[in-house]
Amino acid sequence: MITKTAWKNIWRNKVRSMVVIASVTIGIFAGVFAVGVMDGAIKQRIDSALKNEVSHIQVTHPDFRSNNDLKFYIENSDQVTAALMEVEGVEAIADRKIVIGMANTASKSSGVRINGVNPIDEEKVFSLYNEVYPESGGYFSDNVGSGYAFIGVNLAKSLNIIRYIITGEVLNSLAENGIPDEVIQKLSPFEGKRYKNEKSFKKEMRSVLDPKEEAKYGYVIKDEAQNFSKRARLTLTFLDSNNNQTGGRFRIAGLYDIPNSMYENMEVFITGDELEKLVGFPPDVSHLLAIRISDVDDAGLVAKKIKEIYPGLEVMTWKELQPDLAMMSEMTASMYGVFMVLILAALAFGIVNTMLMVVLERTKELGMLTAIGMNKKKVFRMIMTESVFLSLTGGVVGMIVSKVIIMLTARNGISLAGMEEGFEEMGFSAHIYPEIGPEFFGIVTVLIIITGILSSVYPALKALKLDPAEALRTE
Amino acid sequence: MKVLELKDVHKIYDKTEVEVHAVNGVSIDFIEGEFAAIVGPSGSGKTTLLNMIGGLDKPSTGVIFVDGKNLTKFKSSEIIDFRMRNIGFVFQSYNLIPVLTAKENVEFIMNLQKWPKKDRDRRTMELLEAVGLGDRGNSRPAQLSGGQQQRVAVARALATKPKFILADEPTANLDSASTYNLLDIMEKLNKEENITFIFSTHDARVVKKARRVITLEDGKVVSDITH
Repeated sequence: MITKTAWKNIWRNKVRSMVVIASVTIGIFAGVFAVGVMDGAIKQRIDSALKNEVSHIQVTHPDFRSNNDLKFYIENSDQVTAALMEVEGVEAIADRKIVIGMANTASKSSGVRINGVNPIDEEKVFSLYNEVYPESGGYFSDNVGSGYAFIGVNLAKSLNIIRYIITGEVLNSLAENGIPDEVIQKLSPFEGKRYKNEKSFKKEMRSVLDPKEEAKYGYVIKDEAQNFSKRARLTLTFLDSNNNQTGGRFRIAGLYDIPNSMYENMEVFITGDELEKLVGFPPDVSHLLAIRISDVDDAGLVAKKIKEIYPGLEVMTWKELQPDLAMMSEMTASMYGVFMVLILAALAFGIVNTMLMVVLERTKELGMLTAIGMNKKKVFRMIMTESVFLSLTGGVVGMIVSKVIIMLTARNGISLAGMEEGFEEMGFSAHIYPEIGPEFFGIVTVLIIITGILSSVYPALKALKLDPAEALRTE
Repeated sequence: MKVLELKDVHKIYDKTEVEVHAVNGVSIDFIEGEFAAIVGPSGSGKTTLLNMIGGLDKPSTGVIFVDGKNLTKFKSSEIIDFRMRNIGFVFQSYNLIPVLTAKENVEFIMNLQKWPKKDRDRRTMELLEAVGLGDRGNSRPAQLSGGQQQRVAVARALATKPKFILADEPTANLDSASTYNLLDIMEKLNKEENITFIFSTHDARVVKKARRVITLEDGKVVSDITH
């Protein structure tokens, strides 16, 4: 009866209750959606790092990671790989030979890490082969023959391999993408002009576009004007096993594009056979064995088994290799909890205010209820239930709205294209697919109920202090 | 049988600048099944006396015995429980719960006392029929006239078969027809259920109907006449 009465009570003053419910709805939506976006971005970052950059477990010579010296390799690599494949949970292993060197073009050079890989094994562990920049070529498996390098888009920009050209085709494409005619007309005088790098292209664009146009259309224009020559070449130079300068000229097999500009700038891939010949490695050696396992949550367990088999090698899980990601993965739940608590704490003040008004308005009725025998516990429960209903109604609506919006935005993602560079500097994608787990809704529901209960304490205590005889005299 | 006994009851309000002696040495008894009216001009102490009998207020001095138990010694939780089990209140302004229907208002205290649903439904219908509102059980207070609301309040007060009904100016907001109708119903229920009715009133129609009339002036009993 108290529950039923409490529910009916909150609809006495529909406008006031709706205002409170709307504020809770908006607060919960803002909180849950923001968490959904953050969680989506973090999961994408971790997923991309595991798939493209670190794998689940890495095995190296114990001194290799600290020195990056090519002499610290794993001997009998094939035999070690075969033994590790027998470990329960291991699904695939890719071996890499690694040297530090320079990537050079006619106009630029950049320090890089050159990875000699076996493309077939790589595809079983990493997904970089799937991250090829459009129309830039392909992965090794798409190119027959030797002398190819697979490099990141950012490195290609740094080395001036990607240039910027406004062609008639680019202008047409911009028109198709909805860029206004007046902007296209401002760009047309530059048709046919080539820009060596992004900086000079941007400078030219700034000279004709106003800041608003640049902010709104700059990213699309830059994207369309990017031009990659498939005949582009680069030279990789490094020291061989005798510390003599060596290197080779490579065509670009393709460019990979992942949301981590630092990785793109640093990591260059050529085939392991070519690197072995150029450096003069003895046969059957590797610097790194990258392992993919069936369940990423078992990484610690599998790593422990590997350590038992090869105590002389360094075995590290992705959490040890990327402690920043591990921290994100482990701290997110509590961070989101704190975030929601802060939002609910702000909302609680509104609920307290409303419930105080409720008690004030119903002084006479509360006096009557006490007079006819409703004890203090039940009066307290009624006020508390009303407060919980108010917050929970808003909370449930807020969570439904959040879930629907998250589902809708998760289909195509949220594009923050204008901030792509900043995001990629931090390793995050600027195209975020929000997501939220059902367990989070459970946590939010509990937090909302706690908020409702806590918000009711002060108003309910006020109600309990009422003297029934005096309350009944109230007009 | 004596069910209520007041001995030298005083009530002094001293929170204001001027001390008010609202009830001044009242000593009266009530026997089971009485239909009594406490009358007197405004400020004579009627409502204060009724509140003390109902345990809503405590006497400054003096004692009140209910069924031989000293009400003034009860703890506040005991008083609430005592009220729920022994006293039905009827107020001047009805004081029904506006969001509940007539039926829900009547069964409210039965719910608090955890009556089984079957008994609750039977008693509620019995009372609504008795006050002539058998067909208005699903109406909310706002959909009822003043007289009808007061009849629902009487039904609510009687719901758990209390020992007393304390009615504070129950007819003050009613027209003549509703007043006579309400008084007839209360008298009938008083006789049928043998419940003691004590009114505070200055309504001559109520006084005429009462079998005992206690007159208060300046907080003192100046006459106590049984017809």
